[in-house]
Amino acid sequence: MNYYLKRTAQIPLTILAVATLTFGLIRLLPGGPFTQLRLELLQQGVPAEQVDTRIEALQNIRPDAPLWQQYLDYLIGVAQLDLGQSISLNEPVIDVLARSLPWTVFLVVTSTILMFVVGVVIGALQAYWEGSRFDRLTSGGSIFLMSVPYYIFAVIFLFILAFQLQLFPTGNAVDRGVDASLSLAYFSSVLHHAALPILAFTISGIGSTALNMRGNGIQVLGKEYVEVARLRGLSNNRIATRYVARNAILPMYTGLLLLIGFRLGGTVVLEEIFSYPGLGYYMIQAVNANDYPLMMGCFLVITVTLVVGVYIADLTYGLIDPRISAGDSDEY
Amino acid sequence: MATDSSSSVSDRIVSRGTVEDPIFEITETSVTYDDGETCVLEDVTVSIDRHEILGIVGESGSGKSMFASALLDAIPDPGVLSGDIRYHPPDGPPVDLLELTDEERRQFRWEEVSMVFQGAMSSFNPTMKIGAHFEETLKAHDKHVSEGLEFARELLENLYLEPERVLDAYPHELSGGMQQRALIALSMVLDPAVLVMDEPTAALDLLMQRSILTLLDRLQRTYDLTIVFITHDLPLVASLADRMAIIYAFQFAEIGPRDEIIGNAAHPYTRALLNATPNVDAPLDEMQPIEGEGPAPVSVPSGCRFEPRCPLATEECRTTDPPLAAVDRDRTSHRSACHHPATAREEIRLNFDEANDELESASPVEPSESAVETRAEQTSETPLLSLDDVAVHFTEEQGLTERFTKDPTVVRAVDGVSLDIHEQDLVCLLGESGCGKTTLGKTLIGLQRPTDGSIEYRGQDIWEAKDGDGEIPYDEIRSALQIIHQDPGSALNPNRRIADILSESLRHTHPNIGRNERRRRMHSLLERIGMAPADEFLDRYPHQLSGGEKQRVALARALLMNPDAILADEAISAVDVSLRIEIMDLMLELQSEFETSFLFVSHDLSNARYFAEHGDGRIAVMYLGEIVEIGSAERLIHDPRHPYTEVLRWATPDLELDSMGAGDPPLREVDVPDPIDPPSGCRFHTRCPVAREACREQRPNLRRIDEGDGKAACFREDPNHEYWDSDPLDGAVEQPEEFAGD
Repeated sequence: MNYYLKRTAQIPLTILAVATLTFGLIRLLPGGPFTQLRLELLQQGVPAEQVDTRIEALQNIRPDAPLWQQYLDYLIGVAQLDLGQSISLNEPVIDVLARSLPWTVFLVVTSTILMFVVGVVIGALQAYWEGSRFDRLTSGGSIFLMSVPYYIFAVIFLFILAFQLQLFPTGNAVDRGVDASLSLAYFSSVLHHAALPILAFTISGIGSTALNMRGNGIQVLGKEYVEVARLRGLSNNRIATRYVARNAILPMYTGLLLLIGFRLGGTVVLEEIFSYPGLGYYMIQAVNANDYPLMMGCFLVITVTLVVGVYIADLTYGLIDPRISAGDSDEY
Repeated sequence: MATDSSSSVSDRIVSRGTVEDPIFEITETSVTYDDGETCVLEDVTVSIDRHEILGIVGESGSGKSMFASALLDAIPDPGVLSGDIRYHPPDGPPVDLLELTDEERRQFRWEEVSMVFQGAMSSFNPTMKIGAHFEETLKAHDKHVSEGLEFARELLENLYLEPERVLDAYPHELSGGMQQRALIALSMVLDPAVLVMDEPTAALDLLMQRSILTLLDRLQRTYDLTIVFITHDLPLVASLADRMAIIYAFQFAEIGPRDEIIGNAAHPYTRALLNATPNVDAPLDEMQPIEGEGPAPVSVPSGCRFEPRCPLATEECRTTDPPLAAVDRDRTSHRSACHHPATAREEIRLNFDEANDELESASPVEPSESAVETRAEQTSETPLLSLDDVAVHFTEEQGLTERFTKDPTVVRAVDGVSLDIHEQDLVCLLGESGCGKTTLGKTLIGLQRPTDGSIEYRGQDIWEAKDGDGEIPYDEIRSALQIIHQDPGSALNPNRRIADILSESLRHTHPNIGRNERRRRMHSLLERIGMAPADEFLDRYPHQLSGGEKQRVALARALLMNPDAILADEAISAVDVSLRIEIMDLMLELQSEFETSFLFVSHDLSNARYFAEHGDGRIAVMYLGEIVEIGSAERLIHDPRHPYTEVLRWATPDLELDSMGAGDPPLREVDVPDPIDPPSGCRFHTRCPVAREACREQRPNLRRIDEGDGKAACFREDPNHEYWDSDPLDGAVEQPEEFAGD
């Protein structure tokens, strides 16, 4: 079968598998999904015989129905983008996700692109000056950055820059009182709040990108076509951009899109540390509050983003690297 | 000078060690590494004549590539180039290469002297179109881009390429031969005076090599080029060069006019090199490998560099390094670095000279021919392997956009082949790369499932057996058919000792024998294949073996399975030239000892011939998925019936001076047509020099040929065919009868 068709057909299948897994795993958790809700409802004074109907109204799921029935109802809900009602926040899960996802995407995309650009530049310089003092120092630095997890940086930044020096806010995505508009005040507030999380999230990834780029760069610099280009008298600039950089960065492209997907899951701890109202923040809240519908919603969104990211990477790589469509790439 | 260059070779032979009108004068030039510790080119003094083709031959690691780089002052870092290299431009004062400023050197390269590298694939930026390479080169040298591209198109056309298609293609979209020619055009786009070529054809198969060489010859005359052609392949360059130089251990061992070097070489190394070359015309017993290896740069002998390997070495050779001096007093153009040129000429006889005398009688091969005949006659017996109208088609993966616009493309790797392999048979599959010979080989040993037709092992369909309904169990068939791969390095598990690798097959064939018995058997087999001391080899890992030894282990592993047939897929191409004959001999000896059949896949007629002739086998010539001719080696070489066989015969280099450099390729097109859409009728008609209208429409079948063994698929074998009455195709010979005569 054709590769692209196969690849596209895989997406709904993967999402189905993920939905099933979340559904199943959460059923296995102690207490079950609706114990909390049932308790709450009972406390609110809802008569015991009406509790199940209320739950059904809220969550699209009949708690007394057999498991397969619940499963099917859940899947139908997912297909209709109806993920139920958040128990702790008392609003539809989809609304919570719609509110928090943009912040998380903002954090992840900005920090990943920053990380990629800075890492590539450092790695390229290292490759050009292979064996120099700069190369040795930055290699050591890169390995250090790789081995320290990002949340350590996050905690250190938060402690020093936000609490001690009070240069940055310690939570939230914007100042209270600043309305969402296209004003300068709003944007600067957003950047001010996002600066620390982005910095912490970026810095830890620079190391591996730089080392990766350094390796690729050195490999490409040793290729015959670079030598031939030099003999042909091309300018150093052209050789650096069209020959070395392009061929060294290409194999990293798939990795970049994958990374965006993976880092989406990594925001859980980051947003918790900075009290940043993104997806991860709400997810922790949901876990703490036994808010199963919200939890399942968050899981689902994170995995779907990852799946789509990988899919886009696979599809577009052929367009970016002319060799892929012919199926004879020798890179990686 | 321009007219001079097109005249015959002898006119250009120069009278002194230094030539009359030199374009390059290289004096005492060295290339050193590690602050002078390692010398990879030592005190070379040589001149290159304007408009000549200088062929430089040397083994790998002899410093020949360093010489090439030195001509452009492009020694890879951290090498140091010292000495004096003087370049004489067509007009203007001479230039000292080592005194140029960076900008002057940048302009000098490519505008005056340019270079063609070995791997065309790796010489192009894989993410840029070919045309962009031309454009940026023109821009970098401040040339008029559209005029330059016009010239590039002309060059490409002269190299038998479609300019628009090539310029608009990415490197990977072209075949190896096309890329190499595009690279030659790229190196000539600024109209340089000198072209330095470092192994420009090594990665290509023979036919393409020879075709490129003829094109080079033409280009050299059209554009008044001086060509320095560097290679390890002596017979290849011999057909092209005016003068030849042999480089050994970082110095020139011998230099002189081509005919002198081939016919009257004075250095023992040159003579040994000539004798070690597999050669279609030479008697087979005379081919001798050169013992030993060339010295490493750190351990160059103090006296003559060739002395440790030289059979004629004397005390003088051990102590004094011979200078590169004229061989005869009256002919100073031929210089050699040997103390005893006269002895060398006397003691080391050139085998191809003798060949010419013996060939006339052709007596040594008479018996083998009849043996082939008899074997082919044994049709009553069930053949070991039998292909019946087998086709293997591959469907290509498609891109996103093509998916919606085109039908799936089908590569017809093998199309309608029927072939019988008998017990202890020997068949060589011969053809250009991409002709489907490997696919056919793999189909024969049941590794590739045919998309059409059937393959039978002793009367049992292999693929039916695999599906579970056969009289002979599939496991038995599987172990009876073995393979030796082209690259032994990647065919042996690098993490296991030789003993473990070999015992795997023993455990399969003899499950009941103990550990000691297994080791004893492996031991004796290793000794048998010339790997002594066997005990030591058994405990080694593959990376501790040389290429030839690895291939022996791969052979031993296949033999331990007790196979009925072994497919040797280009099994000797990865082995050093001087060792090939040894390995081939070994395979032939073991064939009779182990009573197996051999299927030998090769693109090299001389290897195939050696194999088929010594093993009383047949050669099957393949073209675009079909067998076009099959027969004994002797008949195929001396009486080729199919025009394609004739082309392959032409492409096989030989050292006969009379036939050298004779004429254009007997081909109308250089490139193989796309196997996705093979030509109608006879598939060879697009390139065939004697094709006629009939060939375009009808497809010839293999038919038994008159006055000889084997079969050929050509209408010319049928005297009553309408071929003889139809018109010749564009560019084909009018009188095919004459073509057959030469």
